Amino acid sequence: MDDYLIGVLSNIGVISFIALSAFLLLLTGEISFGQQAFFAIGAYAAGIATALWGWPLSAALCWGAATAGAAAVLVGLPTLRLSGLYFSVATLAFAEMVRLIFEQFRYQVVVDGEPVGPNGTDGFRGIRYIFENDVGPLQYLGLIYALLAAAFAAFMLLERSRLGVAFRMIGEDAVLAGLHGVAVARLKVLAAGLAGALAGIGGGLYAHLTTYVEPRIFDIMLGVHSLAYGLIGGLGTALGPLLGVLIDIGLLESIRPLSGYRMIIFGGLVAALLIVRPRGLLDERVVHYVRRAWRSRRRPQRLLSSGKD
Amino acid sequence: MLDVSDLVTAYGKIEALKGVTLHAEGGRITCLLGPNGAGKTTLMMSIAGILQPLRGSVRLAGTELRGLTPARIVAQGVALVPENRLVFPQMSVRENLLAGAYQRNDKAEISADMERMYARFPRLRERREQLAGTLSGGEQQMLAVARALMSRPRVLLMDEPSLGLAPLVVAEIFRIVSELNRDGTTIFLVEQNAHMALQVAHHFYLMEQGRVTFSGAPGQLAEDEVIQRAYLGARPAD
Amino acid sequence: MIDFVQNTIDGVMIGSSYALLALGFTMILGVMRRLNLSYGPSIMIGAYLGTVVYLQLCASPIMVVAATVAGAVLAGVYVERLCFAPMAPGAAIASMVSSFAIWMQLEQAAILVLPRHTYPFPPLATGAPLAFGPFLVRTDHLIMLTCALAVSTGIQLLLYRSRFGLALRAIINNPVAAHLIGINVRTAIIWAFALASAVGGIAGYLVLATDQQVTPMFGMWATFKGLIAMMIGGLGSIPGAIVGGLVLGIVEAHSQWYFGPQVRDLVAYGLLFACLVLRPGGLLGEAPLRELSAGRRGA
Repeated sequence: MDDYLIGVLSNIGVISFIALSAFLLLLTGEISFGQQAFFAIGAYAAGIATALWGWPLSAALCWGAATAGAAAVLVGLPTLRLSGLYFSVATLAFAEMVRLIFEQFRYQVVVDGEPVGPNGTDGFRGIRYIFENDVGPLQYLGLIYALLAAAFAAFMLLERSRLGVAFRMIGEDAVLAGLHGVAVARLKVLAAGLAGALAGIGGGLYAHLTTYVEPRIFDIMLGVHSLAYGLIGGLGTALGPLLGVLIDIGLLESIRPLSGYRMIIFGGLVAALLIVRPRGLLDERVVHYVRRAWRSRRRPQRLLSSGKD
Repeated sequence: MLDVSDLVTAYGKIEALKGVTLHAEGGRITCLLGPNGAGKTTLMMSIAGILQPLRGSVRLAGTELRGLTPARIVAQGVALVPENRLVFPQMSVRENLLAGAYQRNDKAEISADMERMYARFPRLRERREQLAGTLSGGEQQMLAVARALMSRPRVLLMDEPSLGLAPLVVAEIFRIVSELNRDGTTIFLVEQNAHMALQVAHHFYLMEQGRVTFSGAPGQLAEDEVIQRAYLGARPAD
Repeated sequence: MIDFVQNTIDGVMIGSSYALLALGFTMILGVMRRLNLSYGPSIMIGAYLGTVVYLQLCASPIMVVAATVAGAVLAGVYVERLCFAPMAPGAAIASMVSSFAIWMQLEQAAILVLPRHTYPFPPLATGAPLAFGPFLVRTDHLIMLTCALAVSTGIQLLLYRSRFGLALRAIINNPVAAHLIGINVRTAIIWAFALASAVGGIAGYLVLATDQQVTPMFGMWATFKGLIAMMIGGLGSIPGAIVGGLVLGIVEAHSQWYFGPQVRDLVAYGLLFACLVLRPGGLLGEAPLRELSAGRRGA
């Protein structure tokens, strides 16, 4: 597998985390434009852990997830009681504040005679853990996808669990869910924390993949993109946002010759898609039918014995 | 005056109206009763054009209304007083009334009509500069009726005017319904409160699960059977 | 003390154009109950048309204004037709994401046609600033303030004294009831978009003519200023848009003076965040509009 393909696939894998993050909040009915803030927090935290404190990668990634998740909970507490639009704008405001704070953030430690660490707008260079520890690109790709598979498996479990049903109930109609005994406020904060942690893992992986992050990357574009992935790929299943990332980055790469017109084409396609599929390709209906077809296929005897109705 | 034939309206794949046929005679009060979920509001919204029926026809004095936009249907002379009133909350009573005359151009006549509304509904006159969202339920109901009347409709549709109102207020609403009819307005009324409705109706229909199941004059079905079927639907044995 | 007043004056001036941006934004939000992320970019399309007219045709400022407004209106209606009109009532996020996709489309289209980083705009006014005692007021700022006041007053009159304004307010209050009184809601919405874009176009012209240049970043900038000002002041009201714009302008002017441009932006967002958390209805405490939600229910 050539390096270019590995690079693209690694990108897809890392971005998928933030797509899943926005998707999780969408399930509970919240539109967040701000998941890039937790992506950033995860990136910086994990980068600091390996490059400045000498931690191993696994610990650093956990640290990134934990700080991002904690930040998400802290922000979620005052904002989740805001209704739809106000919450969304609050996430936008918060994310921009985080980005602007990182532009002022300086924390440098001398490592091997050189100062290393976040340096305001100049960003954070030298997150070289995977190079210093002989982790090849293919191995790292494997790590990314192993973690992504774990996250995806967690989503599959969630969809079948009571918690997952509760999330979707909140998403459909929070008042009704509350009347059915769902602890709406608490679960929303839980969802926010999980989503933040998810974005944080992605951020940590991203920082080590590119060895360099700067605040400019974590802007509103990234935030709205992460929502868009779910909308394009479909909101019916966790596979949807992954599909969305694949389509976006895949399409982006394949129309490289037309790169000057990329967004014109892509933007138009997305708008057209959303007219006919407002909840994405794999929306709830498609998922429902697929599940039903799958279930009936597992019981062939029934179909045969019922004969011609 | 108003003829609905075999009307079918669906929400996605679910048919809420399964072929409704009824007739509202000009100059009379026709009532549609039925339990929750029977499709009464769906029918009203379909006639008004907010929902687009799949099949069937709605005719007002011969003119086909199905397929027209709600604005065109209002132009034909249909006015709906919707379920839950739907007044314009941040607009004053006076502005709500003015809004009802939106399609009209005759300023002098519009002013005259507003005076008539204030005369018929004195409480609206008292509160005419008040924001409609601050009125009580009964006042909002009167405002909604007055607003609909401002378009000088040929037929007035009313969707559950008694919903959520105290008995005294309900009685007043129905008194106004009778009065309007005596003054010549054709009224097609959907109600849960079968008792009050039957007291004013000239003809009534029962609707259950998207179909009309009975048609007749009040007194043709024993009143308590009507009430039972209106609130609970027909018993399985029937 | 002099600095304080001077900064406040400057803040009020620039804030008046924020107020116009907020006004256009709030009109669309009020009527659609959905966020239009392409609002700024459609103004930018107008601005680019304006600069083309200025460069190629050596047009007078009036022509440039007309071109800017026309371009903004065309782009705005394009966005409405593509991102908002075809969407069913429950598809609020689809509209927003679609408007984001078109934002990217419009931005790239503009860059393709005019690839340089900056293009000139005719100045709003030339000449020395006016002195009022110890305070200086730039002439172009004064023009900006006057125009903003004129436009806001015009919109206010339109909304409260005209039939079209009644239709818009009815739609904002209750879209279903608006249908029931015979308003052609589809058409009214297109006109609302056109009007909001025109207001945005004027605001855009005022800002760009003061800077005397337009850059591709203008679209995003305009969207954010309009959004922040609108949310600070309170959704769905003209006074809210104006108060929000002025407050934002003043806060920015002071922050920039004492702390520099980066902190200025941080303070702006911090103010927005604080307003949302403490007083979601905005400073004027308007009853929040029925919100959008990601669930199938709701506008």
